[in-house]
Amino acid sequence: MEVLRLQNLQKSFGSVRALKSASFTLNEGEVVALLGDNGAGKSTLIKAISGVFPVDRGEIYVRGQKVSIRSTRDAMDLGIETIHQDTSLAPDLSIARNLFLGREPVNLKWLGVFAPLDLAKLRDAAAALLKRVGISKKLDADALVSTLSGGERQSIAISRAMQFAAKVIILDEPTNNLGVEETHGVLRFVKEVRAAGHSVLLITHNIHHVFQVADRIIVMRRGEIVAEQTVADTDLLTVESIITGADMSALLKETRAK
Amino acid sequence: MPGAKRRSSLIRSPQFSSLVILIVLLVAFAVADANFLSPLNISNMMAFLPELGIIALGMTLLLTAGEFDLSVGAVFGLAPVVVMLLVQSGQVDIGVALLAGLLLCVAIGAINGLIVTKIGISSFLVTLSMLLVVRGAALYITQGFPLKSWDQPGFFVTLLAGSFNIGTFRFYTSLWWFITLSLLAIYVLHYAKLGNWISAIGSNRNAAVARGVPADAVKIWLFILTSVLAGLAGMISAFRISATSPVAGTGYELEVIAMVVVGGTALTGGRGTILGTIVGALMLRSIRNGIVLIGVPGLAYNIFVGVIILAMLILHALLQKNAARS
Ligand SMILES: Nc1ncnc2c1ncn2[C@@H]1O[C@H](COP(=O)(O)OP(=O)(O)OP(=O)(O)O)[C@@H](O)[C@H]1O
Ligand SMILES: [Mg+2]
Repeated sequence: MEVLRLQNLQKSFGSVRALKSASFTLNEGEVVALLGDNGAGKSTLIKAISGVFPVDRGEIYVRGQKVSIRSTRDAMDLGIETIHQDTSLAPDLSIARNLFLGREPVNLKWLGVFAPLDLAKLRDAAAALLKRVGISKKLDADALVSTLSGGERQSIAISRAMQFAAKVIILDEPTNNLGVEETHGVLRFVKEVRAAGHSVLLITHNIHHVFQVADRIIVMRRGEIVAEQTVADTDLLTVESIITGADMSALLKETRAK
Repeated sequence: MPGAKRRSSLIRSPQFSSLVILIVLLVAFAVADANFLSPLNISNMMAFLPELGIIALGMTLLLTAGEFDLSVGAVFGLAPVVVMLLVQSGQVDIGVALLAGLLLCVAIGAINGLIVTKIGISSFLVTLSMLLVVRGAALYITQGFPLKSWDQPGFFVTLLAGSFNIGTFRFYTSLWWFITLSLLAIYVLHYAKLGNWISAIGSNRNAAVARGVPADAVKIWLFILTSVLAGLAGMISAFRISATSPVAGTGYELEVIAMVVVGGTALTGGRGTILGTIVGALMLRSIRNGIVLIGVPGLAYNIFVGVIILAMLILHALLQKNAARS
């Protein structure tokens, strides 16, 4: 079943056409890998979906319904949670406060932004969540995020996306700068998230990871989607050549000649 | 053992080390000069404290959100000048004039905030320019002359600059303003949803925005709040001394920022403490007062103040490093 569909999304920054035209569909319980070289427009595409900036043209459908995503809040309300490449957590806040940032449990709701945080609930929910993702032993919900390792931060960001039962979780290079163990942790998360019925859009430069967790591959080049394949129907070499834009036929001839 | 852990993190926190230094300073001054703790001197300190302290509360919230405001000293000067000109030359009712003065502060803060957030110029440059505009305006509309302030007893004088005695101590109502506003600021920064947003914005603006936090709106309101508090402090001061001058508050912006960072709030945003700011305000006030009493020559004050501020900042930096290591 279709969860998210993009139709002809376009976005320019001044004269830079970061997104020329992007259309694709993401189904329920599916992990789609979005590949492409630096500057291909991957982050631009997911920022458009998650409401960081508006698109110039094009439509977004969530569960078949046409939606307009004008802010990050809109995207979150539609069940789209994003973990950006360059930003995810506030290092000076505790784990618990980060987990609920923007969706704080409060008492006396009518006080609006002045409403007091429900600190007990905040801490309990955070502890429960950390336990659920299997990192409760090491981490205290009151610890500042600045004291965590890169992998721990990534786990926190991903569990935050999971906690609101988002329909779609978007991960922009989640394994960047991570060690072997942490990387496996993140990939395990992706599998768990899919098992729980969420859809995942995963951006990465590591093609090996793609073959470990993804169902389908989408390749972007210079602002356009140039290929779309199921993982079962392709192989590493082919995907690599599509990403770099190497002449496929020449490459095939070369391999045949050998 | 969470109790022990909490205790040790409290001891390592910047506001705690500031408090220890404050106590050491108070004891040192008291030993050096018995008059330091006399009712007269304490009353004196408590009269000055709220005026800068009130501005420091706004500045703490603003710094925590990652911005700062250099125009507060100028606003401190302009607001009461405008009020008194309206009353004396414009025959406007004092209450209306005070309201107009505060609205002017709202406008100044809103302009600061809008330029910083919507055009994206650093708050250092924007508020430095605003300092010149506001100070220039105060000088121009008064032609550089001080004005007599409102001194007819009544509701507004009592509200802003009334005084009362507790035993042999004489306190001004401004102290109540400071205490009330401090409690509100503590609540907002540390216990309310808004405080979570303020810290998050200063810590990692993009992360906050990605979670749906309206970062620009929060910053604009904080600029407005800081400006209004600066104007209010200026009015309190003008009423207390029954005079208002276009150059009042010169240099206050730096003194206020010093109070805030000495208390342990990070200049880079994300980490703010109102308790620390209160300690910082008390510290700078007692240093200025204490070094006069112990006979440091007037022209040498700033050397002492500067050295003590530097020492405090070095201490915070060392503690921070230590905490990160452990
Ligand atoms: N805010 C912006 N203003 C101007 N140009 C931008 C902006 N954001 C992205 N671009 C440009 O748009 C193009 C696509 O950038 P994008 O960040 O989407 O690439 P990417 O595929 O995510 O690359 P990477 O793998 O390096 O993260 C690049 O040429 C980039 O310079
Ligand atoms: Mg990118």
